[in-house]
Amino acid sequence: MYTPRINWVLLVLYGLAVAGVFAAALLIPTFRDIAYAPLRELILPPPAPIVVSVLYSTEKDAWLKDVITGFEASGAKVNGHPIKVELQALGSWEINAAVMDGTRKPVIVSPASSLQITALQDASITRTGKSLVNPADSGACRPVLKTPLVLVAWKERADVLWGQQPASTLWKNVHDTLVNPQGWAALNHPDWGYVKFGHTDPLKSNSGFMTILSMTYGYYGKTSGLTSSDILTDRDFQKWFLDTESSLGQFEDSTGPLMQKMITYGPSTFDFVAVYEATAIAQADNAVGRYGELRIYYPPALLWSDHPFCILNADWVTPEQTQAGKLFINYLSSQPAQNLALMKYGFRPVDPSVKLDQAGSPFDRYAANGFIADLSHLPELEIPAGNVLNTLRDFWSRNVTR
Amino acid sequence: MKFRIQFLLSLTIILFMLLSACGQLQSVISPGTATVSIVYGSEKTEWLEPLVKQFNAANNKIKNGKNILIKSTAMGSIESVRGIMDGSLQPTVWSPASSIYIPVANAEWRKTHTDDLVTGTPKDLVLSPVVIAMWRPMAQALGWPGKALGWTDIAQLATSSDGWKAFGHPEWGQFKFGHTHPDYSNSGIVSIIAEAYAGAKKQRGLTEADLQSPDLNQFMSAVESSVIHYGTSTGFFSDRMFSNGPSYLSAAVMYENLIVAQESKRLAGTSSQIPVVAIYPKEGTFWSNHPYVILNAPWVTDEQKEAAEAFQAFLLDKPQQLKALELGFRPSDPSVPLTAPLDTQHGADPAQPKTILEVPSAAVIGGIQNLWKQTKKPVDLVVVMDISGSMGGDKITSARSSLMQFIRKLDDRDRLEIITFSTDITTLSSLSELGGKRQQVLDSVSGIFEGGDTKLFDATLQAYQELQQNGDPKHIRSVVVLTDGRDNSSTSSQADILNKINAAQGEGGNSIKLFTIAFGSDADKTVLQKIADPTGGKEYDSSPTTIQSIYDDIATFF
Repeated sequence: MYTPRINWVLLVLYGLAVAGVFAAALLIPTFRDIAYAPLRELILPPPAPIVVSVLYSTEKDAWLKDVITGFEASGAKVNGHPIKVELQALGSWEINAAVMDGTRKPVIVSPASSLQITALQDASITRTGKSLVNPADSGACRPVLKTPLVLVAWKERADVLWGQQPASTLWKNVHDTLVNPQGWAALNHPDWGYVKFGHTDPLKSNSGFMTILSMTYGYYGKTSGLTSSDILTDRDFQKWFLDTESSLGQFEDSTGPLMQKMITYGPSTFDFVAVYEATAIAQADNAVGRYGELRIYYPPALLWSDHPFCILNADWVTPEQTQAGKLFINYLSSQPAQNLALMKYGFRPVDPSVKLDQAGSPFDRYAANGFIADLSHLPELEIPAGNVLNTLRDFWSRNVTR
Repeated sequence: MKFRIQFLLSLTIILFMLLSACGQLQSVISPGTATVSIVYGSEKTEWLEPLVKQFNAANNKIKNGKNILIKSTAMGSIESVRGIMDGSLQPTVWSPASSIYIPVANAEWRKTHTDDLVTGTPKDLVLSPVVIAMWRPMAQALGWPGKALGWTDIAQLATSSDGWKAFGHPEWGQFKFGHTHPDYSNSGIVSIIAEAYAGAKKQRGLTEADLQSPDLNQFMSAVESSVIHYGTSTGFFSDRMFSNGPSYLSAAVMYENLIVAQESKRLAGTSSQIPVVAIYPKEGTFWSNHPYVILNAPWVTDEQKEAAEAFQAFLLDKPQQLKALELGFRPSDPSVPLTAPLDTQHGADPAQPKTILEVPSAAVIGGIQNLWKQTKKPVDLVVVMDISGSMGGDKITSARSSLMQFIRKLDDRDRLEIITFSTDITTLSSLSELGGKRQQVLDSVSGIFEGGDTKLFDATLQAYQELQQNGDPKHIRSVVVLTDGRDNSSTSSQADILNKINAAQGEGGNSIKLFTIAFGSDADKTVLQKIADPTGGKEYDSSPTTIQSIYDDIATFF
């Protein structure tokens, strides 16, 4: 049978074109999607995923694990590469230490609060002249969830200590009752022993650090302008602060276990503790029917745990990982993820379209326990400069026995 | 050619089959075992042991495929620390009854290591407050439940010469109190710390200077004067109280869960005792929180840590926590509600305790232990030792050396008498304080040798009568009898001894206690048990290899 030469040429060209498409699909993942799907899955290896490692604080562990599946299933890609998120939990301050000494090299860090981001910015500039994080770039570094530091107390005891709500002199009053050798007897309740307050270890846990920062502001009766010299030179403050801290027992490593102990051990062990509002919400049902009514009290000025997610400005982070990280942060800020954070885990969303007091939300269900959706009437404490935060940490570390 | 193709085909099929079988083979060939040894406070035996069996039976594995095998040993919490420190115990996990002794353990460990033995904050397995267990009618006589009771009430009762008569019940006799030995058991150390706080009228901030106060010394002596005897573990102590009844012990320091367990038995009809209730001391108490400590010790491998963490997760899982609640513990899982049997019907009040005492520093705890040694109730002890002909060889050698070791452990204020018996009965040393004669007694014991018949009953009766006549009723009075055979030359009988013991039953827990050691298989264990049991003492089976541990156990009663 005779075959014209031209046909041979066409056949060879067709063959080359097919081979070219396959080669392109192999080399450039974007072309993979145009290949015939069953054949593609059979012949072509899947493109390597872009790994986004996230070093995060433990308080949002359950929510993150919950939303990560949805993110990976959403099919988000960078240059045709799928994105794989790897989670590594650590204490908020330990995240800073691990990144600074190079023992961990994540793409994203997410401590419990912007306090740590400010401190990390200060520490990295001091050491290398370059900031590892850039909060000014909201695409690469921004808060994703919010929850304030609150006091959780057994109502019967809070009624005696501060009544309906703590006064503006909360921390001074707390100091005075804690150091009084008569304890509860001075308040006509000798059977309650000495007054027992709990917060976490400020060197390991953000809520503990927020507590001692709030106390420091409380001593000076101000909401901004805290300086290192306030901490280092005022002997009266130092005595006041250390007397308060030495009246506490053991410092728990993280906030969740402290709240659990508040509930399982009851008022015998803690009259009140400083934890996050979201932590109190998570345990609200467990407290029912144990040692009486457990209530939440907002301090006179608020400090927020705002869970920033920040892509590191580090040489181990590739441009593709930065892009993938931004997509992940966008997903976390999206309405479904934010709604889940509120309804299931008690965090306050940063997305204003998600209503806090909607029916069935924790602020609706636990309103009787003192939870308040609108806190706009309370002032906020200013986050001091990084060097002030590090001074306070050092002061605690050098002077408080754990 | 066709044959070659068939051959190649067959070879390929066999190869595929072998390769497929590899997966199965891997499961047949054991990849090894990751063994986790756990030494734990005996109070949670009933909860933990079935769970160990359940976990082992489930063939749980660590990541590298090795099977996890849990090996558990119950032991007094303080005793286990000593074992870890002297190297005789090398567990992966240590789970004492409470965290109170952890600072002391770390301080001790730091003397020879650069790091702590216990790092971080160990997780609690289950909780139970330390309480004073008291028979309900007795608690009611003191004003309970309307009146809060505490350590100071115990001290007042202990020092009152009228005893229960002052509360309208002369028929109950003297107040009889008990707690375990602070050198062995968590509830013992907790008891003496609480006593020290009550004596110093403090609830926190106890200092070494406080311990020097004569008032505190007097207070502790007063409380300790009502103690009938000490003991090695809280579980053992509660068994004693609940089997022997209110004539034996009026009250004892133990954990809430043991009272709930006893009340569950009573309500189910398996115990015929009167009801017992938990008194939550008004001055404050401590929690028994059963920390699960994966030791930071050189002998613990990464594999063992992983396996130990898996077992910890299992114990903290809800079904296991619910089982703990059934047994009277308060679960550490806050999602498990505090429901029955944690209720007043079972002698407990889940709304208590109202307050706790501050855990003192390691140095202050050491100071309290020393103070207790000065204020504890002394012992009047008669040791009766068989030196008949059958005790020859290993027996007499090990009996001699273990008795000498036992004597070394007694305090200077303790009073000791030693009687040997064979064909004759000889008093080696009469009842007097050990302080001035310790070396002389040790020399006498080292010279003991065997020969002659077995005058067991006469010697035992003589020891018992001498202690009745010369012993101080304010001391713990005990007779320890060691024999390897049967009586063959006494003039008195077993019945004579039992008559004497029965005649003294009115003294209840303060009566003379007989500890008998059946040394070897020829000893008459039945007889020895019959004369030990009614006194609140104990019968031991022993051999030359175990005799030292028997003496160690007896020492915990004093």
